[in-house]
Amino acid sequence: MDLDTGPKVMGDDGQFHATDEAVDLSHTTIEAWAALGLFWLLGLTVFYQFFTRYVLNDSAAWTEEIARYLLIGTVFVGATIGVAKNNHIQVDLLYRYLPPAAARALATLVDLLRVAFCGAMTVLTVQMMQKMGSYKMTIVDLPMNIVYGVCGLGFAMMTLRSLWVMRVHLRRGYSALERPESTMEDR
Amino acid sequence: MLKLVFLLLMATGLPVAIAMAGSSLLYIVFSGSLPPFAVVHRMIGGIDSFPLLAVPFFILAGNLMNNAGITNRIYNFALALVGWLKGGLGHVNVVGSVIFAGMSGTAIADAAGLGTIEIKAMKDHGYELEFAVGVTAASATLGPIIPPSLPFVIYAMMANVSVGALFLSGILPGLLMALLMMLTVAYFAHKNGWGGDIEFTLGRFGKAILELAIVAAWPLALWGLVQHGGLPAQPVVFGGLVVLFAADRFFGFQAVLPIMTPVLLIGGMTTGLFTPTEGAIAACVWAMVLGLFWYRTLSWKMFTKVCLDTVETTATVMFIVAAASIFGWMLTATGVTAAIAAWVLGVTQQAWVFLLLANLLMLFVGCFLEPTAAITILVPILLPIARQLGVDPVHFGLVMVLNLMIGLLHPPMGMVLFVLARVAKLSVERTTVAILPWLVPLLVSLVILTYIPSISLWLPRISGMVN
Repeated sequence: MDLDTGPKVMGDDGQFHATDEAVDLSHTTIEAWAALGLFWLLGLTVFYQFFTRYVLNDSAAWTEEIARYLLIGTVFVGATIGVAKNNHIQVDLLYRYLPPAAARALATLVDLLRVAFCGAMTVLTVQMMQKMGSYKMTIVDLPMNIVYGVCGLGFAMMTLRSLWVMRVHLRRGYSALERPESTMEDR
Repeated sequence: MLKLVFLLLMATGLPVAIAMAGSSLLYIVFSGSLPPFAVVHRMIGGIDSFPLLAVPFFILAGNLMNNAGITNRIYNFALALVGWLKGGLGHVNVVGSVIFAGMSGTAIADAAGLGTIEIKAMKDHGYELEFAVGVTAASATLGPIIPPSLPFVIYAMMANVSVGALFLSGILPGLLMALLMMLTVAYFAHKNGWGGDIEFTLGRFGKAILELAIVAAWPLALWGLVQHGGLPAQPVVFGGLVVLFAADRFFGFQAVLPIMTPVLLIGGMTTGLFTPTEGAIAACVWAMVLGLFWYRTLSWKMFTKVCLDTVETTATVMFIVAAASIFGWMLTATGVTAAIAAWVLGVTQQAWVFLLLANLLMLFVGCFLEPTAAITILVPILLPIARQLGVDPVHFGLVMVLNLMIGLLHPPMGMVLFVLARVAKLSVERTTVAILPWLVPLLVSLVILTYIPSISLWLPRISGMVN
């Protein structure tokens, strides 16, 4: 909201009349929609558990386990949103004291390290899935590799997104570390 | 070695979660003690917990309540209650934040959403922008102190203590902080000769008090009917809901239904009716019913947006928790935490000296790190020492979260500071100066709460959650 334009929030009748900003969903990435899908499934699962426990007095045992796995999926797929927006929590204090050239070099190193980390985690998840092969969930008769596979997909998407973020940074010549007020939309 | 790599990586500006998991990965690869994929396994295992399910739903409940339809009601209610006092909108700001703190668990979201409305209203009414920013920043810290609270859930998981006990421990400290802030508003009003912002009319004030009474009486009546009247629980609750909503439609209450949220949440968790996770779900359902169907102030498009924001915040926070679980485990396994504990215990054996040093350290860390990240790093290091010196872990959790919230208000990494500077279009320097006087009530409450543990521990004790 812009503070200087727009009507008074508290009108002359002595009541508050704030309004919401318009919603724009057009910049939502495909991983974000996927994570949202997992989150809504999670919501339905826990609500079903709540309903069976308090209204039917008999809570369904599978819901707790499935809910935990859906949360894991939501987190590892949802973490790609932060990678794509480059807004995972980071410390940019050092960059205020570095000369521009050194800052640019260090920020590029950070981009490279991020790509390397996400790539390594993707490979390690695949390795783990090979070791875990036939391992089953505790209550529900499904392979654990479904859960690990979703996490692996999340890491793979993070690798691609961090590559894309690095390319944007190289092209425009600065990253959010050097200019904390910038977003990925700025070119 | 592990800690050095981590600090180095974090200083370069790598995201904190990647710095934690990355340094652990490097250590495992070079020491060769474990297969490297143990990092992934441990990260996933770190968030595989039922109490953590509360995190996304507390975030969602807060986001759902943070839309204009509900905020207007709560502000109008707070206005009727305290708007006629000297420095009216300053008091409204604090009271509004107390009510919101009972629905939402983060400080930054509160500052961004409510802060904009509060600052705009105060500016329109001729308050100095600096005063508006200061009181908004200070009252935003109440969000995670008064339950529900995101940092408390994370602390509870890291420290292995009860979430319910921590939530209860935050109620009285939150009210104490609000009181000190209102005294500060009164001081400014007295100094500058401000009047109230609305006329005092008995009708308006009385109506607000009446709504407050209904909010308190309705759950008590249901509880009495079930507990002492021997009636079955489900029909009573269902009937009570029908009566409540019918009364709301008939009398046109301002804010009874929104304010009921914290009462139900806290009441449900105190009496052991809900676990925190179930409480979070109940709060979401309540907020959805109010926004989507009852007041109809929340469109489905807006609902989607709110859910997307929730997923983003949840993933960012929980990704750090996942990374912290491998990092914390490595810190313990390599003996770093034991070494730090031995060093601190060599310096002092006095609990009060330790608390003083810990407060200074946490204030310092809070200036650089976002609360979740700070909690996940500090708990494995500081809590074993605190336990050894006989400091209650629930009390220590409250002190830690309060320290980290104060850290959000000042440079170099104060997120609330940055958000409010952007909202008010003030420079970071001017915003810092504007917030400075408000650190006084916060630091006073920090000292009181650190050294009088019974304020935080009284409620958990009488409900039997802490010995």
